[in-house]
Amino acid sequence: MAEVSVKNKLRELRAARDWSQADLADRLGVSRQTVNAIETEKYDPSLPLAFKTAKLFRKPIEEIFLFDQMD
Amino acid sequence: MDKPNIPDEIFLGGSKQYSWRTDCRVNGWLMVAVLMSGASDFFFAQQVRQLDVAWRTVIALAPFLVLPLWMRNLAQWIRGMDELHRRITLAAVLFTVSATFFFVLLWHRLEAAGFFEAICPGRKSWDIGTVGHEVLLLTFFYILGHTIFNRRFK
Repeated sequence: MAEVSVKNKLRELRAARDWSQADLADRLGVSRQTVNAIETEKYDPSLPLAFKTAKLFRKPIEEIFLFDQMD
Repeated sequence: MDKPNIPDEIFLGGSKQYSWRTDCRVNGWLMVAVLMSGASDFFFAQQVRQLDVAWRTVIALAPFLVLPLWMRNLAQWIRGMDELHRRITLAAVLFTVSATFFFVLLWHRLEAAGFFEAICPGRKSWDIGTVGHEVLLLTFFYILGHTIFNRRFK
């Protein structure tokens, strides 16, 4: 099976709003470690958290989380 | 928005985020079970031995009446975590339960084989069946498991 990874633009979007990881974590209702793990692509968020993130940044989900298929 | 629970809140001495209040809320009933077991197994062992079998059974089982209350509090606390910490904690709990089970099983097998008596003769008992022993093992394996599973996401 092909390996699948999810890239994201969370760090750029957060930086554009001048939010710290703790600010974003508060807004999403998660811990700062979770925001850091998503930004560094060590952890892929659940679908509800991804939708919540998209809603917070007012962008379509696929603009923030990018599907990347590797063979 | 409510802040999610984080595992560091109950890591005694391990973090700035440690909270004695949260630790008591989550693990209070476990501490009560340890005290009950300690009282009957160590401090009042002589007196307990002189009671009739019905009372001894009640005293032996008493900590197990308290443990479901601890498990309920623990489950509620885990439910209040965010998804990453819940995942890490559940993996650590599974590791803890499995490792403790295998450790106790291995210990009893070695004890039955006379291994401890051979390496350290003269000691009366090598029993690790008290709630205090199990809590020490659970704590050790939980910290080990949590450190292993948490490292991936640091």
